[in-house]
Amino acid sequence: MSGPTLGEAGDIVLKLEDVSRSYQMGQVEVRALTSVSLDITRGEFIVILGPSGSGKTTLLNLVGGIDSPTSGKITVDGIELSALNDKGLTEYRRNHIGFVFQFFNLIPTLTARENVEFAAELVEEPRDPLEVLEVVGLKERADHYPSELSGGEQQRVAIARALVKDPPILLCDEPTGELDFETGKHILSAMKMINEVNCKTVLLVTHNTAIGDIAHRVIRLRSGEITEDRRNTAPIDPQELRW
Amino acid sequence: MKKLRRMLQHKLQRKLVRDLAASKGLFLAVTAVIFLGVAFFGASFLGYQNLRSSYDYTYETLRFADFTIRVVEAPGGTVEELESIPGVAAVTGRMNSDLSLTLPGAEEKRVLARVISLPADSRPAVNDVKVESGSYFQEGEGNVLLVEKNFAEHHGLKEGDTLYLTVDSQRTSFSVAGIVASPEYIWFAKSRQEILVSAETFGVVFVPQDIVTELLGKPFINEFCFLVEEGADRETIIAEAENILDPYVVVDVVPREDQPSNAALSMDLEGFGELAEVFPLLFLIVGALATYILLTRIVHNQRPQIGLMRAMGYSRRQVLVHYLSFALIIGIVGAVAGTIAGYLLSELITKLYTGMLGLPYTKIEMNFLQWLAIEEGLFLGILPCAIAGIIPAWAASRLSPSEAMRPPSPTTGRKPLLERIFPFLTRLSFLWKIPLRNIFRNRRRSLYTVIGIAFGISLILVSAAFIDAIESFMDTQFNKVQRYDAQINFSPNQPQPAALAIEVQNWDEVEKAEPILQIPVRLEHEDNSYSTLVVGLTLNSELYGLFSTSGDRVGVSDEGILLSEGLKKALDVDSGDTLTLLSPWGTQQLEVTGFIQQPLGSYGFVTLGQAQELVGGFPIINGLMLEVEPQYLDSIREKAYGIPGTASVELTGESNEKVEEMMGLIKGMSWIMLAFGAALALAIVFTTVTVNIMERRREIATMRTLGEGKRRITAMITIENLLLGMGGIIPGIPLGYALALLLFRLFQSDMMSYNLVIFPRSYLLTVGLIILIMVVSQIPGIRHINRLNLAQVTKEQGT
Repeated sequence: MSGPTLGEAGDIVLKLEDVSRSYQMGQVEVRALTSVSLDITRGEFIVILGPSGSGKTTLLNLVGGIDSPTSGKITVDGIELSALNDKGLTEYRRNHIGFVFQFFNLIPTLTARENVEFAAELVEEPRDPLEVLEVVGLKERADHYPSELSGGEQQRVAIARALVKDPPILLCDEPTGELDFETGKHILSAMKMINEVNCKTVLLVTHNTAIGDIAHRVIRLRSGEITEDRRNTAPIDPQELRW
Repeated sequence: MKKLRRMLQHKLQRKLVRDLAASKGLFLAVTAVIFLGVAFFGASFLGYQNLRSSYDYTYETLRFADFTIRVVEAPGGTVEELESIPGVAAVTGRMNSDLSLTLPGAEEKRVLARVISLPADSRPAVNDVKVESGSYFQEGEGNVLLVEKNFAEHHGLKEGDTLYLTVDSQRTSFSVAGIVASPEYIWFAKSRQEILVSAETFGVVFVPQDIVTELLGKPFINEFCFLVEEGADRETIIAEAENILDPYVVVDVVPREDQPSNAALSMDLEGFGELAEVFPLLFLIVGALATYILLTRIVHNQRPQIGLMRAMGYSRRQVLVHYLSFALIIGIVGAVAGTIAGYLLSELITKLYTGMLGLPYTKIEMNFLQWLAIEEGLFLGILPCAIAGIIPAWAASRLSPSEAMRPPSPTTGRKPLLERIFPFLTRLSFLWKIPLRNIFRNRRRSLYTVIGIAFGISLILVSAAFIDAIESFMDTQFNKVQRYDAQINFSPNQPQPAALAIEVQNWDEVEKAEPILQIPVRLEHEDNSYSTLVVGLTLNSELYGLFSTSGDRVGVSDEGILLSEGLKKALDVDSGDTLTLLSPWGTQQLEVTGFIQQPLGSYGFVTLGQAQELVGGFPIINGLMLEVEPQYLDSIREKAYGIPGTASVELTGESNEKVEEMMGLIKGMSWIMLAFGAALALAIVFTTVTVNIMERRREIATMRTLGEGKRRITAMITIENLLLGMGGIIPGIPLGYALALLLFRLFQSDMMSYNLVIFPRSYLLTVGLIILIMVVSQIPGIRHINRLNLAQVTKEQGT
């Protein structure tokens, strides 16, 4: 298993500079992220670890353009997110980001293929939905509705949906959180494969530390701050994972 | 207050209050539907009862006749003979004659006045009057008269004014002694055929008996008004009275229910009563459907809470009562507020209505029936909510704790039937496909919404139909039937020679003049008889339009008589049947040659020659219809007064305005009904749209996260709503049409015939209004979507 070369100059896809995010909860100010700076290179598979409330999902949301920092600067592919208005952020999510959620978030009235096609309709040059479903191993189940699919199958549809837009970055928030061990491993394999074959940058948030072993880079957060940012020189195959 | 506080200390009650507060918009919308339904019921039902008791009280106080018999001429002594009939409580004999009356003022104005005699020294035993201002006749006053209130108000007449009655070109002056209200003219009708008459050309005055005798030159009685003892058989008394009066030629027998004013009021009142039944029912059904939609959603949303409550030890009964309480609160709040509003509105309606009619006595009282109506209103408001609430509340109480705390199974996806039938629909873009599938996603909710919209549409359409019918009625009456600009009416005792038409035709102001002869007759066919007017017209009359029931222009012919549709029913006749016409001067038999549309009244139409045969073959006329050059419309009246015997000159434009004024109330009511229909549709659509949006928050947030724009999501929601709207329009329009037919049935009588006409513009208005409502009611939901916290909502568990 070989990952892309890390830290090559000019190949930074995502840059966070001194990013903070705080929320006003009644009279209390909650600091979800404090002065986070990060450079992420194209093609990296990054696992963000941390306990509940550590700020990992906030980090993902900020990168995904569904939340805005209180201070600091986020640049993705040369686009500074804080300069974008609502319409600009929508365009950004459409063309640059693929989301994979913990609860799959499929549209229940659409079949697997239609869920993927729905996302494909949003971009000018999408990938072939059936082909993407084939990549995640669900071509045969393409005409099934979410209610007819298992959790793992639903998550694979969600991955295909993220992939069909051909975005440079995939953001995955606890993608295995709702899945059993075996299914979780299959999902991780699919993601790893996408990262390698399609050269997508993957940011995967989880509280499951074992998953860090498959990543090129592991970032640990605690109380909104990066406590560890290490490179994994020998990522293992997801099938070898144990938790 | 302490009790309430103690009650709220119970955590379930506190949860209930907070849950209600959290979805206050939705609860208010559903409560508003119940409120409107109960208020509508209360206002119309209590209003109906108030009006009914006000009429009854007026009739009782003024001793309104149980029946009246008209004869050609009878001696005064007949009254005693009639009073001796067993079961007769009282009889008043009087003279009733239509004469020309000249009003005070710089410009001469004549009207046709109904002169009714009253005893000079005492109040009449039957059909008394209520003196509103001035005083009843006093001894030795000389030529005085009492003026009927509607007429007096129209012309601004007051006691002390001088009026002139003309008999045989002889003008006699009278001083107004007072203004009175009469039970016979509460609804200002000239006859059963003319219930929408303008006080501009017709009036009623009461004159002392001895003065009328002097005026008309002989003592006689031509009208007997009877009061019947309680429990006595009116029909037997009528038969006996007719027998006694037979030598004096009975012209007409009018039972109280057929008396023009009372019949018009009853028709109106029955319409009110019908509205009190049908409309609230629609509201309460929709209220129940909306309650069901809302509560089902709450129970669905609160599954984990239900699981927790059950796990903590709350009993099934407590859970059931808790969720049922939501529905009961909607029902109780809506019903109590609706009852109070209904009660207050009923008072307002009664006062407005009786004030407008000038009813001498208004009676608003809380009797047993009123209390019953209030209780019924409360019951009607609470019951549908309780029924609608019990199903979801029962489902909540049946959930096992473990089942309830698990996330619900995902919504079942299935290709909708529509797509299976029409496969091309699967190739639609997602902008259309998602809304279409969403409609079939929760079929029951969509169905209830469609029903609610259909009811709203039907209310809107019925209201629009009333407005259209009035316009069509006015158009038929004043543009198609009365094609003349002015009509000169001659005093009944001073008919004019037919040749006068030629003379008038030569006036510079007149483009065309046509003679008319209207004769009071009794029409008989087998066992049925009907008193009305027969109108004699020239062949091919241009100024009086006759239209067959199929809408073709027709004319009178020597072959027989044309009858209005109302007479077809009243006499049970068909084309080809022979009809007997009895007039005070003779009898004639004519064949019925066809039927015509007649919005106002029910007349027979014959040729002028045939009509003249009925008055003994004299070549006379009692009216002239004129087509007048527009610039002479103001002066034609004065010129027409120059003809001896002119009793009144009626300008069609003026009558049109007056009738339109009278129709204003019905139009006003129709607009209010229309607003109610729109409110109903708004409430149900708002409930559904909001519930749908709440349910799909995560889905919508996911779409937005994927990069779907707000505008396209708004478009999807709008399309879904419009499709639901279309679904409501399809059954709503025929339903509205059927409802309109049902209500219009009440306004079909021999007095008045409203045709159910719905102009294309009304369909457009209905559809346009529904589309507007659909769009407006989704605004709060869309605003909510636009403010969704994507980060938070996309992480929510499936709902």
